[in-house]
This record gives sequence, structure tokens and C-alpha cells, in this order.
Amino acid sequence: MARLENLLPLELIDKCVGSQIWVIMDTGKEFIGKLLGFDDYVNMVLEDVTEVDPIEGNGKLPKILLNGNKICMMVPGGDGKTVIEGDEDENEDAAMSG
Amino acid sequence: MADEIRNGTPGEEAQNDSRDPSGFLSEIIGAPVTVKLNSGIIYKGDLQSVDGYMNIALERCKEIAEGKVVRNWGDAFVRGNNVTYICADSA
Amino acid sequence: MEEKEETHAEPLDLVRLCIDETVIVKLRGDRELKGRLHAYDSHCNLVLGDVEETIYVAEDEDEDEDKPPTVKTVKKQSEMLFVRGDSVVLIAPFAGTTQ
Repeated sequence: MARLENLLPLELIDKCVGSQIWVIMDTGKEFIGKLLGFDDYVNMVLEDVTEVDPIEGNGKLPKILLNGNKICMMVPGGDGKTVIEGDEDENEDAAMSG
Repeated sequence: MADEIRNGTPGEEAQNDSRDPSGFLSEIIGAPVTVKLNSGIIYKGDLQSVDGYMNIALERCKEIAEGKVVRNWGDAFVRGNNVTYICADSA
Repeated sequence: MEEKEETHAEPLDLVRLCIDETVIVKLRGDRELKGRLHAYDSHCNLVLGDVEETIYVAEDEDEDEDKPPTVKTVKKQSEMLFVRGDSVVLIAPFAGTTQ
């Protein structure tokens, strides 16, 4: 694996193509799915998606194009279950191995 | 390497075509889709076209609330800035 | 190649076909306009004539939070209206809509 200090943000996302990714939107909505591809605006194609909404509840989506303009944060290999208050070192390890 | 990392070789590019956003879109033109807006409103219809702003033209467009059709729009233009995602129903 | 561009027209073509027709425009903030489309541009700035504006207002007179608020509609008429594109959510020809 490349040394993280030399990895550009878009290179990190590129490394996630083909694997699971956890996307958190500005609105608080979340998407978990397999990243198939993305473009310069970080619009993303995701497969086997779980849509997580604190109000509406969860939903399953086979294949989506997610608009990049409201994306806040992405976690490589994330399953949406990472507990922020838990052991931070463990969470980081889980994210890196994805 | 850092500059062109996402383009890969020409052969790979063709293979990746349906996976990146523009390839995915051309694949699902004419197919039934679900469009969700940032406001939470859901539209279902046949995808007529999309442009670079993610503006969308839908045929047989229906507005869905709580799983039920609340309104039939027929042909509809949806302005791209409101769109959260486009979902291919048949995929 | 050119044929492909014709069949996969762009979404704004749908708006172009609505020129001089009656359209319904859904706006941000629970507003709708129905009127004749005189002009538009790529930002979805619109000029509408003979416009009926419908505003959906949630009434909470009882302040009973358990019940869903009843929706009241307010209507306004305008002879001619300019709509700034950033408030536009959806544009549809009135002829194709039901209810």
C-alpha cells in the first residue's frame, strides 16, 4: 500500500473502486455500497447500496449515480457501523485495510 | 502517474465505461429510474436524457410519497441541483 | 454519431418544446406556478405569462404536534412573471399532468 502522506485525496478514492465505501452527505444522509466509478466532480456510481436516513429509515438500491455536490465525507471500506466514540485506533485500522 | 491515475490504459477505459458516471448514464437511458431529490421527494419514470448539470428529463414521471403515487407529471424536466441520486430500477 | 446526438437529446429540449405552451413549474419552498412559457435559458430562468401561483402552507392553529398539519393553499395571479432559475425544481407541460 502506498504511503498515505503522499496520497492525493482523489487517488485514495480511486483505490476504493471495486470495494465497499461509506458516503456521508452534508444533509446527514448516508450511503453504503460498492464503488464502481466516479468522475471529476466526485459524482459516484454505487452498487448494492444501503441508503441510511435518520428520519426515513433505511432503503436498498441496486445501482445509483450519486450526485457529488452534497457529499461531505467518504470512508473507504466503511460499513456505516463505525462507532465514533469507540477505540479510534481500531477504527482507523479498519478503514485502512479496506 | 498521479495526473492520469484514473484513466488507466485505453483498453481498461473501454472496460470501465459502464462503471463511471457517464457510462452508467448512457447505459440506463430509456430505462425506468428512481430520482431522489435533496428535499426527499421521489420521482419515478423512464429516463429520457441527462446533461452535465444532472438535469434530467423523465417520461411517464410519477411523484411518489410513502410508496404511493401522489401525482402524474407526464413528461418532466428536473433541475439537476436538486438531485441526490438517480437509481436504475432494473439493475 | 450525429444520429446518436439526436436520439439522446438533452433535458432542456423538453423545456424548449414547452415554449408557448402552458407549463407547471414546481419551485423550492412549496410553491407552484402554472402559466404560459414565453422564454427560458440554461439556468432555468423563466418568463411566464398568465400565471397562477399556488403556495402550500402548513396550518398549525391547534399546535397539536401529534396530528399532521393540515395544508392550506394560497393562490395569486400575475400577468407576467420572471422566475430565477435557482428556485426551480421541476418543469412539466400542463397537458401531460393529471390531478
